[in-house]
Amino acid sequence: MGRIQLHDIRKSFGAVDVLKGIDLTINEGELVVFVGPSGCGKSTLLRMIAGLDKPSSGRIEIDGVDVTPRSAADRGLAMVFQSYALYPHMTVRANMAFGLQNTNMPKPEIDARISEAARMLEIEPLLDRRPGQLSGGQRQRVAIGRAIVRRPTAFLLDEPLSNLDAELRVSMRAELSALHDRLGATMIHVTHDQVEAMTMADRIVVLRAGKVEQVDTPLNLFNRPANLFVAGFIGAPGMNLWAGQAKDGAVQLDSGARLPLPSGVTVPEGSVTLGIRPQHLRPMAGGPVRAEVRLIEALGPESVVHGDMGAGGTLLAVLAGQPDLARGTVIELGYDPQMAHVFGADGQRLA
Amino acid sequence: MTGVKGMLGAVVTAPLVALARVLEVPLRLWQRLTGQGGMVAFFLLPNMAIFTLFVLLPLVINIAYSMTTGAALFLPERTYVGAAQYERLLRCTDYTNLMTCQEDQFWIALRNTGTFVVLQVTLLIVAATITALILNRALRALSFWRAVFFFPVLLSPVVVGLIWRWILDRNGVLNAALVGMGMDPVNWLLERNYAFSAAIGVTIWAHLGFFALILLAGLQAIPRDLYEAAEMDGTKPARVFWRITLPLLMPNMLVVIVLALIRAVQVFDEAYVLTGGGPGTATLFLTQYIYEVGFASLLKNPGLAAAASILMGGVLIVLTLLQLALGKRNERKGRLK
Repeated sequence: MGRIQLHDIRKSFGAVDVLKGIDLTINEGELVVFVGPSGCGKSTLLRMIAGLDKPSSGRIEIDGVDVTPRSAADRGLAMVFQSYALYPHMTVRANMAFGLQNTNMPKPEIDARISEAARMLEIEPLLDRRPGQLSGGQRQRVAIGRAIVRRPTAFLLDEPLSNLDAELRVSMRAELSALHDRLGATMIHVTHDQVEAMTMADRIVVLRAGKVEQVDTPLNLFNRPANLFVAGFIGAPGMNLWAGQAKDGAVQLDSGARLPLPSGVTVPEGSVTLGIRPQHLRPMAGGPVRAEVRLIEALGPESVVHGDMGAGGTLLAVLAGQPDLARGTVIELGYDPQMAHVFGADGQRLA
Repeated sequence: MTGVKGMLGAVVTAPLVALARVLEVPLRLWQRLTGQGGMVAFFLLPNMAIFTLFVLLPLVINIAYSMTTGAALFLPERTYVGAAQYERLLRCTDYTNLMTCQEDQFWIALRNTGTFVVLQVTLLIVAATITALILNRALRALSFWRAVFFFPVLLSPVVVGLIWRWILDRNGVLNAALVGMGMDPVNWLLERNYAFSAAIGVTIWAHLGFFALILLAGLQAIPRDLYEAAEMDGTKPARVFWRITLPLLMPNMLVVIVLALIRAVQVFDEAYVLTGGGPGTATLFLTQYIYEVGFASLLKNPGLAAAASILMGGVLIVLTLLQLALGKRNERKGRLK
């Protein structure tokens, strides 16, 4: 149970089209992450699935049943809000019981479900406290607990980690993934953080300006981005994207550099964008990529080098270890052409 | 644009700057002589003087008045009687029958005020809450509706009384309308229960906007997420109101209740203009009693009026302390969040 299908979902607020026809199938038990820059419509889409907003047109099906006209309560879904939305005047226990009491569930059953969820989330000692007396991470757990006790068909999580500090976010990320494995329930997780998306998702839905740009597993998105937007959005630091003219198996950049294209693929002559991940560049005397070092971010095991390639081209390279570079020196780098991505003038992937 | 503004600004500030230059030297001298405490005193003194002259002093004089008798206006010419005025106000031979009280008018006014406070505050709070809930939903033209409900608050109480007398009078607008529709006119202000209800209704009309606005502010401070969470849980609207809206509105609600109580105890101007306390003593309230005994009746008795006002002041102090305590509690809670 928990297969969610979206058919041509559109949403307009006045003259503004926020969602421009979304088709998507989320399989039972899958953890799908909606990711995209702010304003891309990912939260709106989640609220449509939840039933908190109605789509302007389109159909939402859960387990084959059209739920579009149904209210939020009748869809059997549970939502975890970005702000947690815990009732501040109720204890943790009362917060978790509130939704169950609406269904006239007998009290022993409610108590049993609360203690089970509390044990799972390790919040048993907090049950009689109020949200105001909890830390951010604890509130987050309670919000998840409130969703779990309802045994929903699917969990909807709207940027649940964005209010936590960086350290806590990393550990909660792992906990949420573990919880997903344990419950085996369908989860839709909305975030603007592509690292969160990469680490948690079974599949990632990349959204931009109300449209799905690509749906795939994290590694496929990383290895074979379908277009320039996905290429630039997924991966940290972002992919180097250099515009130039393809000719004779290489790309001629404005700065004069000639960068080899992957072999075995035919790239038509003309304007293309070559994409190379910073991690795939390595020092190589006489290499095709030449840049003047502008900034070095030494992280210890690796260093991020920002460089200037001339004619407006910039370089990002992640080099292993702690290379001895100074600002202003010129470095020469090479790459395996098979690791390069090529995008046509329309921004779509060529190779 | 900025040039003009700058010039205007200079015109306004130039004399102030000059004044500040003139004052700077004596003020610095004063500070050197008296230290920081002296400066605090310097700035507080004007305010303290006004407060003392117009609030503190009258209060003390009033307490002195309440312990004297006679019609003489100046305190030194009045006869000291100790607690006799209080005794006169409070003495009854049979407390179950107000007619046996020495000052039966005081007791009637007290009973009327008590009934008025309970009914008016209850109805006012319910009406203000409903108004606030509706305003909180109607997002369209919200400012317009807020203004409509708040408008009566801006009217002078006497104007409120006059408007409603014009409507409810025996030959008033309402009766004209009734007659026009072929019904019999009703003596709204000359029938005991109608007159009392009119006093309640008119004061509610006049104050509703103020309280609804405070409650509306409280409602708007409740995060939308909470309602959406309740919606996901399939919570029925009534349960949302009793279990979420009302508890979260409680801090504002308590303040509103206490403020409404204080105002209701002090009821005077609207009711006095509307009914003059009548018919008979049906709408005679405590403040009117004090006013009439002290200033308006043939046998003026400022001592008795002073004693009655001190007793009423006692009730108001209790309510005010309650309000302050609630305010402090809310502040503490606000900090905890």
